[in-house]
Amino acid sequence: MKKLIYIILFSLTTMVSSIYAQNINGNVSDAESGLPLVGVNIAVEGLNKGAVTDFDGNFNLSGVEVDANLIFTYVGYKTLSRSISEESNLIILMETDLSELDEVVVIGYGTQKLSDISGAVSTVSNEAIEASSPVRVEDALQGQASGINIISSGSPGSKPTVLIRGITSYAGNDPLVVIDGVSAVIDDLNSLNPNDIQSVNVLKDAALASIYGVKGGSGVIVITTKSGKKNSKTSFTFNTSVGTQQVAKTIDVLNATEYAAILNEASVAAGEGIIFSDINSFGLGTDWQNQVLVEAPIINHSITASGGSQNTSYYVSAAYLAQDGVVGGGHHSYFDRTNFTTNLDTDLNEKTRLLVNTNYTNIKAEYLAENGINSVLSNALNFDPTVSAFDQNGNYGISETITQEIVNPLAQIANTYNENNTNKLSGKIELQYELMSDLKVTSRLGYTYVDIYSKNFSPFVYYGVGHNATNANSDLTPIVTIDGEGNVTSTHNRVSESYTNYFNYTYELYANYDFNVNEQHNFQTVLGFSIGENKGDNITAYNEDIPFNSWSYADISSAMGNAEQQTSGSWQYVSRNLSYFGRVLYDFNEKYYASFTGRVDGSTSFGANNKFAFFPSASFGWVISKEDFFDSLPLDYMKFRASYGSLGNDNINPQFSLISTFPSYTFNGTIVNGSALGSIPNDDVSWENQIQANIGLDTRMFNNKLGLSVDYFKKTVDDLLFSPNLSLYLGTPYYPTTNIGKTESSGIDARISLNTSIGGLEISSNLNFTTSENKVLEINNGDRYIWGAGYGIPYTSIVRFEEGFTPGYFYGYATNGIFQSQDEINNHATQSGAAPGDIRFVDVNNDGIINDSDRTKIGDPFPDFTLGWNINLAYSDFDLSVFTYASVGNDIYRAYERNLNYTNRFASTLDRWTGPGTSFEEPRVTFVDSNNNRRASDRYIEDGSYLRIKNIQLGYSFPESVNNIIGTNEIRAYFQVKNALTLTNYSGYDPEISAGGVLDTGIDRGTYPQPRMWSLGLNIKF
Amino acid sequence: MKSLSKILLIYMSLFAYTCADHVDYEAIEGYQITADVYFQSESDYEAALIGTYDPLQWLYLNVLIGDIASDNSLCGGESATDVIGLQQIDDYTHYPANDNLKSIWQWLYEGVNRANYMHENKDLIEFGNKDALYAEVYFLRAYYYFQLVKFFGDVPLFTERRLSAGDSGTLVRVPKEEVYNQIEIDLQNAVDNLPNSQGQIGRVNKYTAYSLLGKVLLYQDKFSEAAAAFDNVIGIYSLVQDYGNQFLRLGENGPESIFEIQYTNTSNWWDWGCPQCSEGNFGIIHTGPRGWSGPTYAQGWSFNVPTEEFYNSFEDDDTRKNATVLDMVAFAASTGASYTEGYEHTGYYNNKYIPRAGESGAQTELNYLTNYRAIRYADVLLMAAEAYNRGGLNDEIARDYLNQVRMRAFETEPEYLIEGLTGSALTEAIWEERKFELSMEGHRFFDLVRTGQAPIKITGFIEGKHEVFPIPQQEIDISGLTQNPGY
Repeated sequence: MKKLIYIILFSLTTMVSSIYAQNINGNVSDAESGLPLVGVNIAVEGLNKGAVTDFDGNFNLSGVEVDANLIFTYVGYKTLSRSISEESNLIILMETDLSELDEVVVIGYGTQKLSDISGAVSTVSNEAIEASSPVRVEDALQGQASGINIISSGSPGSKPTVLIRGITSYAGNDPLVVIDGVSAVIDDLNSLNPNDIQSVNVLKDAALASIYGVKGGSGVIVITTKSGKKNSKTSFTFNTSVGTQQVAKTIDVLNATEYAAILNEASVAAGEGIIFSDINSFGLGTDWQNQVLVEAPIINHSITASGGSQNTSYYVSAAYLAQDGVVGGGHHSYFDRTNFTTNLDTDLNEKTRLLVNTNYTNIKAEYLAENGINSVLSNALNFDPTVSAFDQNGNYGISETITQEIVNPLAQIANTYNENNTNKLSGKIELQYELMSDLKVTSRLGYTYVDIYSKNFSPFVYYGVGHNATNANSDLTPIVTIDGEGNVTSTHNRVSESYTNYFNYTYELYANYDFNVNEQHNFQTVLGFSIGENKGDNITAYNEDIPFNSWSYADISSAMGNAEQQTSGSWQYVSRNLSYFGRVLYDFNEKYYASFTGRVDGSTSFGANNKFAFFPSASFGWVISKEDFFDSLPLDYMKFRASYGSLGNDNINPQFSLISTFPSYTFNGTIVNGSALGSIPNDDVSWENQIQANIGLDTRMFNNKLGLSVDYFKKTVDDLLFSPNLSLYLGTPYYPTTNIGKTESSGIDARISLNTSIGGLEISSNLNFTTSENKVLEINNGDRYIWGAGYGIPYTSIVRFEEGFTPGYFYGYATNGIFQSQDEINNHATQSGAAPGDIRFVDVNNDGIINDSDRTKIGDPFPDFTLGWNINLAYSDFDLSVFTYASVGNDIYRAYERNLNYTNRFASTLDRWTGPGTSFEEPRVTFVDSNNNRRASDRYIEDGSYLRIKNIQLGYSFPESVNNIIGTNEIRAYFQVKNALTLTNYSGYDPEISAGGVLDTGIDRGTYPQPRMWSLGLNIKF
Repeated sequence: MKSLSKILLIYMSLFAYTCADHVDYEAIEGYQITADVYFQSESDYEAALIGTYDPLQWLYLNVLIGDIASDNSLCGGESATDVIGLQQIDDYTHYPANDNLKSIWQWLYEGVNRANYMHENKDLIEFGNKDALYAEVYFLRAYYYFQLVKFFGDVPLFTERRLSAGDSGTLVRVPKEEVYNQIEIDLQNAVDNLPNSQGQIGRVNKYTAYSLLGKVLLYQDKFSEAAAAFDNVIGIYSLVQDYGNQFLRLGENGPESIFEIQYTNTSNWWDWGCPQCSEGNFGIIHTGPRGWSGPTYAQGWSFNVPTEEFYNSFEDDDTRKNATVLDMVAFAASTGASYTEGYEHTGYYNNKYIPRAGESGAQTELNYLTNYRAIRYADVLLMAAEAYNRGGLNDEIARDYLNQVRMRAFETEPEYLIEGLTGSALTEAIWEERKFELSMEGHRFFDLVRTGQAPIKITGFIEGKHEVFPIPQQEIDISGLTQNPGY
């Protein structure tokens, strides 16, 4: 009987345990950081039962059978499965899913897993951006993404030249920038806080970019800003850094004694007397570069807060950047930026989601003249070293001999007054509505409003009697002149104030529908349209006679000029576009991929006869590693990609036959206004039609530790947009852009990445290689070339965009040593004015005479290839990242030498020709340059190849014990050096030279060098 | 789902439909006037006429070259490479690629095109005085074409309409005789329809047209027709008493001035990107003393400097000597002024066209008010004298005209009267007189070429080549025009 009772009891307990099961509590946290994970989904396998973790990562499930399997899923983490034993308190550690395989890429009107993409894309992750602590967004892109070339200037706040896969057009090569789905331009990068950026994707080929149609021809940079996570506690980050910047290199010019000696020699060579009787009295004189180059501070602070409740997530940030210029210092050259960003994401109901992103930026800046003949650096290099910075009375030293534009650069800095204040509000309001399962409709309004105020003051300045720039007497009173009739005229100081407004909006409505057929054929589709408008207007007023010649009083309202002295101007523009787009992404079992994309674009820019354009593309992908035969290969993954499609460029203005009311003439001594036909339209003008093909291969090996991606591309542009060179007998009206050319670019971008660890040392590294070869195939433009930029006074054009050549190459005379004797001159092609010691130019066309027809290609400012190498090491609490960039094969045209009689010269002059055999490179010095030695020639071309360690950052993360005491989650301190080392043969400040634009690259007019920057920073998360 | 998709589709297409004109653009949105709405009233025609006068103000290079290319003066400037196009012309090493010649060519053709644009729109509306207004247009077209043939010889000729982009590269050069023929037709039209005088100073009248017609005929050695044209002008104008004064501000548009290109210093021009767009005379700054500090004059760029030989060729009693040439060394010594020496410094400056203190405004280099005296009565007298003499018409009249000019220059000293000279000796005397009377006014080079003296008088001048300048290389490249011989 007793036995029976035991049996019954046993059965009962078994029954109870099998029917009522047990209650389970648990906690889910990040395996690495130990932070609780909020909102993790927990499902009981096979049952319609589950839970979600709360703010502390806790969950509980009741009535779970002992053998049940729990599935933990969380975005960005590896899915975890755990079977229940009898324990009731589960500690779950989830690992982040770093595998590139599942990285989700924003591709425009949708997202796609990186592994599913069959086009060409480069991605730069949030981690890479954080590692480089960039001041500007483009710094984070340079060399980090293959296929993109960035040439930037050191000037605070200046715009870089960004080329995605080479040069195809002579205008409009700026890629499209899309920030959170809203169209923007490269200039807008300037106003973004890099800390706010979650990821940057570069859409490089037609398959991806053609969803942006006519705007996608130069590639697309897709930027996604950060957002909060739902169901998470507020987390804060605070980043701060302070640093100092300095110019790493100065240019060797003559000191005062050398200058005096050379000038004496030059004067004597011209048959005149010596200029300085006692050259030794000057000593070293003034080193003007030392005077203007300063150590300048840079500070950067930002604070962010992000988190979310069940229905709403948010990300808010505030940031402040203050960068002073290394040329001239912060008093007259600075860039201060303040950002406020708010990104809100809320579920209005089960089916409707509202996203509101708002970014406010304020930029305050003052600029000194740079990158030109009147720049501070140009003056520092060319001004007379015998002049003291200040004279005995404390006034700025003036030159008695230089009356051209060149002035004491310190005086120039002191006399530069301007003020620029930009307020910018941009963002989007987006509604997503889930019409049915997998069919989502998005309605998005993106906008940018910019308001710019600027003021310029040209005070009375005195640079010496008879100096070009002097407009006052030495005591800064106006120069008053009285003519024969007793009329009095006077010089004036001058102020201008201007307001510029831009307003752009884009409204987009599109539907995404994802479905599959038979679980094998997967489709992602999108269809929609976009409508937008860009507007800008400006009004500027000028007046003269500012009280006390003082910046404090410099304002239109205080200026005392009369009605005639008050002038004004204005301009405005508007452009609109209307587009329809669609895309089908298809895959079969995630093994074979295909995509079809198309966009119809209409634009006010196009001629009346060509209002709409269609840009289609297609791509194909094949994951070879999923094939059975692949198993025998020692590779983990391999994918082949190919794409083909068309894109455009509409960088033109609407065209009309316009009557210009600018012409005027003088009757009765007063101006009468007239008119003339000012411009002649081309109604057939249309977009540039670009055909792009891309073939790529991705592979990974050694347990996915080593990855390799290679892409080959080829782009052809038909109907290149040009301002035509027409017969001169048509006169001077403006003939607008027309379609008359063809270019071709091809190249390879490759990326090797390594992720591994040795012992406790984690290594991740990637190497990007980018090359492109560009050629102008055709210009139906009369003389088959157009001129690009130039330099000097008189202005000499040296850049050409010419049929049969690479775009934007340097054009000038080829030199061939120095004439050693009169005999040598006599035996050479006729070179008028040549004397022994002068440069021997090459008779390129062999017609026995040296003239303009002998000019030829003397250089190419674009590199053969660029390399970016990034290495990140982490050991215990320390991390180190080093980024190195190299550009190989780019030429630089040295255009900062003025070569006037009394301007300073470069140290190379010391090796000049002084008699037969003394020099075969450096011509004689003479005040009468009858040979025109200074003409544009390969003498000024230098190899601008360089290798630069752009960034070194060493960080230390404080141990948990410290965090626990302070109450933070993470504290990291770092030391950073930017532009630490540059290896180059280039003699100028900086081999990285851009004035912005394909036809103005590589000309060093005294470029603003990229400073070396040392900084200390702190990242705190709490 | 299907109905929802339909609604969506309808909504989208409806939206698209209403937006179809979203990408249209009208010029009025940018406050721009299109050609379609122009020439609706007389005032539009008046404005277009002023626009046709406008390119006259750009022709400063034509004036500079008239002397730099001659035996009067050197190029000067800051250095041997300062405005290299002018340096080469001075040295006779110029060749087709020359920015300055290119500007001259293009600007003159802009003048031609503006005149043609008016011609093209002549019949849109009717209004009073239309013929007189168009007579000015045709005068201006003749002036531009005359400059073109003087500089370049055979040139493309078109008169019916403003050329459009499609006309690029379609024209060829026509013999200069045909161009001269068109110039004569235009000037005859001007003579027939222009009034004897104009209400506004600066506008051309009947006598301006006669004077230019006579000059054009003289350039073709049509002496009797030239003399007949000049006869209409003789006695209408008079020589001013003080030769030098007419080149001062006070002397502008005086009784001797037949055609004067007008400038003012009030346009407040600052733009170095288009110096000729100013209402001021950009030629003036070129000839100013370099690094100047002193009275009367203002600093400039020391171009077009007279040679010592030229200065010394004047007779000492000739009042034109110091009115034409400024002896800078002497002036500086007497006033304490200082200056720096430019390239090819001779110590002399062009005293007729020189920056004078207080005569400019805004960006001072760009706004000199100095008018260019294109045709003076003294010039007409000498041209008439030449026509009467070389045409074998009447040497007595020729001597009379010549002596009128000389007597003014020598303050009626009878010893300088030219008496008894006839035939080619008289021709030589008239030519020599032109040198003293008209030098540094942009005529000398063309006179030397026209009269065949250039190969003898100008160093480096190659006969059969340098009579005309090369067609700009860019035009050859684009338009496939033939080049002048020797270039």
